[in-house]
Amino acid sequence: MNTIEQFIENFLNACDFEDPVEATAETELQSLPQWDSLAKLAVIVLFDTEYGKTITGEDLKNAVTVGDIFRLLGE
Amino acid sequence: MPLSTLTGVRFAGMATCVPKRVLSNLEDCRPQIRSERARLVRNIGIEYRRICQEWQCFSDLAFVAAEALLERLQWRREEIEALVVVTQSPDYPIPATAIILQDRLRLSHTTVAFDVNLGCSGYPFGINILGSMIAAGGVRKGLLLVGDRCASLNDPIFSDAGTATALEFDPAAPPMRFDLNSDGSGYKAIILPAGGHREPINLHHLIPYREDENDRWHYKTDLQLDGPAVLGFSTQRVPPAVERLLEYANTAKEDVDYFVFHQANRMINETIRKKLGLPEAKVPSTLRDFGNTSGASLPVTMTARIHTELEQGKKRLLLSGFGIGLSWGSLLLELENAVFPAMIEA
Repeated sequence: MNTIEQFIENFLNACDFEDPVEATAETELQSLPQWDSLAKLAVIVLFDTEYGKTITGEDLKNAVTVGDIFRLLGE
Repeated sequence: MPLSTLTGVRFAGMATCVPKRVLSNLEDCRPQIRSERARLVRNIGIEYRRICQEWQCFSDLAFVAAEALLERLQWRREEIEALVVVTQSPDYPIPATAIILQDRLRLSHTTVAFDVNLGCSGYPFGINILGSMIAAGGVRKGLLLVGDRCASLNDPIFSDAGTATALEFDPAAPPMRFDLNSDGSGYKAIILPAGGHREPINLHHLIPYREDENDRWHYKTDLQLDGPAVLGFSTQRVPPAVERLLEYANTAKEDVDYFVFHQANRMINETIRKKLGLPEAKVPSTLRDFGNTSGASLPVTMTARIHTELEQGKKRLLLSGFGIGLSWGSLLLELENAVFPAMIEA
């Protein structure tokens, strides 16, 4: 069972932001300090290697909040 | 031709040449982006790159590699009947660089020489093309030169190299097994859009059209790379292709000494390695020191990391290239008594 808390921890680890960041399901991706191409690649890899799920750059473009990305796990 | 076997072709040796000039991704950049670069280097795994001098072409590196290889093999020039060059950075748009090199290398006029336009995936394809000419009986000895001049100061990924590989006819040689694929629907994933006939160079190409997150302006005469698309392609297509080739060759992963992958970036390469369940010790990497050397990355990695091991006894290798095209190809190869001179700088 994947909890949102666990997912957010993995998500933040993957993005490897330079400064510590707090995030919740409601956090808007655009408000994150470095929601850049590197972070997006890291999240695609996270889905693939940790959750065995394939997502695309398009999926991430359509996501507004961290919770939107979490919900991609369930689809 | 997804799976195939070549017999009667011996891998005689390989030499690799990189430019002397070293770029550091951490230091050779504007001070404002240094902390961002540290994060980038951590994740893409590329710290140092090699970049040509202004006057240097890919062919200058490949020429040096070919001379060194011929010297080591003690092959006579007139014995070489084919010269295949795999590059996307020719000396000129036309004529083919291979033909210019036929003359520079003092090969005979009866040499078949031509260029193949492939990038990161090119090495297994090049071996297949030259190997097929040898297996067909028309050519006894041939050279394959692979590489690109693709490094720039701004882009932190690409690095320059030129390589030479020698193949020869030998009825006793172990079979080479291939899995070669193409998917042109992804042609935009890595593209240099301007300069061909679809979009000839025009005045407006000299004006930057987009500023990126690091305040860098992009031109349509620069290579465009769709990161997520390339990552998705590589990590979805390469592992099953490798599995398929092993199954076709009836070979277990344990029986392969080294798996050498195109050096794309750490995220892509680590994902592929983990998906295939391969131990790090069997998967040599040159990302940190040589970056992404395009089609040359398989030879660069073999030369830089395992060239002494490859000269000792029998070795079984799986080589896999993937990228621009989109194109991906793998080769299962058995080596014995092949020569691998140490890395050359020019």
